[in-house]
Amino acid sequence: MNERFQLKYVSLRQPYLFALLLMVVAALVNLVLQPNLLELRVLNGNLRSFLPLMIVTAGQAIVIMGSGIDLSVGAMVSLVTAVLVTQMSLDASAGQILLVILLACGVGMAAGGLNGFGVAWLRLPPIVTTYATSFIFSGLALWILPRPGGNMPETFARWYRQATPLGIPLGIWVAAVLVLLWYLLRKTKYGSYLFAVGGKPDAAYATAVPVTRVLFSTYVIAGLMSAFAALALTLGTSSGDPRIGAAMTLDSIVAVVLGGTRLSGGQGGVAGSILGVIILGLIRNIISFANVPSWYQTLVDALIILIALAGPGLVQLIRRRRVA
Amino acid sequence: MAKTNISLSAQHIVKRYGGVLALADGSLAVESGEVVALLGANGSGKSTLSKVITGVVAPNKGELLLDGQPVAFASPQAAQSLGITAVYQELSLIPDMTVAENIWLGHQPMKWRLVVDKQEMLAKTGELLDLFAGTVQASLQPEVPVSALPPDERQIVEILKALSLDPRLIILDEATASLDSRQVGRLFDLVGDWQEQGKAIIFVSHRMEEIFRVADRAVVLRNGRSVGSTSIGETGEQELVNMMVGEATVVPRQLTHDPVAAGAAVRLKLEEISAETLHGVSLSVRDGELLGIGGLQGQGQTDLLRAIFGDIPFTGEMTLSGDVVHFGHPRQAMARDVALVPGDRGSEGLLLIRSILENLQLPSWQRYGFPLEMEAARADAGRVADDLRLVRSSLDAPARSLSGGNAQKVVIGKWLLRAPRLLLLNDPTKGVDVHTKREFYNLLAELRREGTAILFYSSDDEELLGLCDRVLVMLDGRISAELSGDNLTHAQLVATSMSTGRAEAQDHS
Repeated sequence: MNERFQLKYVSLRQPYLFALLLMVVAALVNLVLQPNLLELRVLNGNLRSFLPLMIVTAGQAIVIMGSGIDLSVGAMVSLVTAVLVTQMSLDASAGQILLVILLACGVGMAAGGLNGFGVAWLRLPPIVTTYATSFIFSGLALWILPRPGGNMPETFARWYRQATPLGIPLGIWVAAVLVLLWYLLRKTKYGSYLFAVGGKPDAAYATAVPVTRVLFSTYVIAGLMSAFAALALTLGTSSGDPRIGAAMTLDSIVAVVLGGTRLSGGQGGVAGSILGVIILGLIRNIISFANVPSWYQTLVDALIILIALAGPGLVQLIRRRRVA
Repeated sequence: MAKTNISLSAQHIVKRYGGVLALADGSLAVESGEVVALLGANGSGKSTLSKVITGVVAPNKGELLLDGQPVAFASPQAAQSLGITAVYQELSLIPDMTVAENIWLGHQPMKWRLVVDKQEMLAKTGELLDLFAGTVQASLQPEVPVSALPPDERQIVEILKALSLDPRLIILDEATASLDSRQVGRLFDLVGDWQEQGKAIIFVSHRMEEIFRVADRAVVLRNGRSVGSTSIGETGEQELVNMMVGEATVVPRQLTHDPVAAGAAVRLKLEEISAETLHGVSLSVRDGELLGIGGLQGQGQTDLLRAIFGDIPFTGEMTLSGDVVHFGHPRQAMARDVALVPGDRGSEGLLLIRSILENLQLPSWQRYGFPLEMEAARADAGRVADDLRLVRSSLDAPARSLSGGNAQKVVIGKWLLRAPRLLLLNDPTKGVDVHTKREFYNLLAELRREGTAILFYSSDDEELLGLCDRVLVMLDGRISAELSGDNLTHAQLVATSMSTGRAEAQDHS
């Protein structure tokens, strides 16, 4: 009795243990197929390619923990990308660059604010609201930037691509900062409000938690994170594609779930979600290095993800069989 | 501690939910050091009046005077900041958060203005938990998630959560419903302390004896109107019931002890049933018998019923109508005419957003062929609804629209439609008003006459004493006593419920 209780307790507090295990396995398989994986240059490249999704997923995780979902994160990335590359000039000074970045953040937060308004104040279902706004955002992106192109100052982009502060890949720095911010957030009042709103909104309301404002803020955070992800993407490619974010929406949701966050909210974390992104990235690496014929790649990719998602449930099922 | 001072008066409050008039004319006044009991049948507007006072809902009309000044609360937060808080009937705890996080949600002790001071929070939670020390399990600790707690301990956390705000006015809304007698005793000691500190208390309960123990005054609501305010010392129980029910002639509760017809066959026999929380339970129940199960809350009563129903795995021998059976799924139990009426109607008994018809017919649809013979299904459901005197606008109204007592009738009705031979009842009258209870007792009597064997767990001692031929008292997963005939007294029931066997609990005779 006591032992089972402890187990339940641990799995509730550490929902990403399974994700950690999965990541180690995926990394080992990847290492076998790609022996130079741990070289700084390769590692930096790999982690940097995960970086935009990591940032988007951090935002998605916050929304999902508040028992919502944001289907417009990809479109917000596209929109901010379009804004960035059209407003930036090739020979921009540091001050101008900063100004454009601030503008990008503003656009992301405004877009997230629109989602938040619909969900928190108008009480529209999050799936429908954000699905609808995703068309607004991607439409705006195409209007601002009809075809791929645009500018990004080369020195800035080169720094981004090659930077390994203190010999540690930039991807690890960003992941560390996101996780650190998350742990700080959890320790604030806002953090406990977030869990409360996601866990049982009516109970939270009766406890005098500002439910509407908390819900609204989660979508604004997702918008801001999408803006940062767009910045990372444009720096990585030195140009903008108005459809670049499309694939990121569902990937971010899969990563959040892989990381042990429950889709119904009230539980989980950003740390696990970032592990989810890395797992997703490693799986794609493995597929491309395992010489899977390209016709089957999507299928294999999907099957592995499905198995990974089913993992914790299967473990539960086996444990229950043994008890019974 | 400095004495608090408060006076609150709600005057002629009106509240509509859409087209439904929940409160037509609610008035109540309470001041420092006073315990006012708020009484009324289910659906009489008690909860609504409480919610108006705590700022959860805004009234359509009427005035709220706090310390003589008119106030209007925009949110629960506004009421809280003026010292008004409630212990809710539907729990306001977040299951995945810990005891400490739940208690301090919204007013956590902070350090550096930004970060929650966890050490301070845990220490203060420990102090609060000490108030109930000795009446709860040792596993109730500040860092345990609420989802791992039994209902009585959740209720205690709920009480402590209200207390952590150091309120001037506390509303206890059915706060004792899931507590055992020791815990209730401790709570009432605390209420006494609060009175001395000058706090005001509004006490909402269906348990008469508790109202007489703790309240100074009673305000009675009937059909959304305040019908009177009376001093407890000068009023009898019957008088209060009359005010609540409002019928000219109220028949006193009819509790008939039908002896088991000597020849009735044994319907169910259990030999050494064990499960996680059960340790060798043996019993037998005959056709037409009403066998009570009592004891403190959480001694394995619920799991015993669930094991019989095939809902949880168990070991041991079970004989139903002479055949040895071992149900692995409720479906198998249902096929043998066994029915279980669950205790938590919100989460286990009802699909709240579906219609009354669908709820009633949920276990029985396969009898109506393909495509479903809706006319027949509707007629059968209507008949049962009429038998139960279910107050409804239509069978198509969502179950959510029913008041507590009527919702419970649906939960029972859906099993009656299957005409069970063995009926398992898991605390079915919890939070149900006196009037519905009486109808329910009549229903049980009728089922017995028809030969249904009934296994009846109740947390209400009076019910067990009044209705049952025999009562099995459970303690720590075992049957600690079997009471019948002259042994079946309240003193015995309380004494055998306690681990020490001492009748230390209040015997209010």
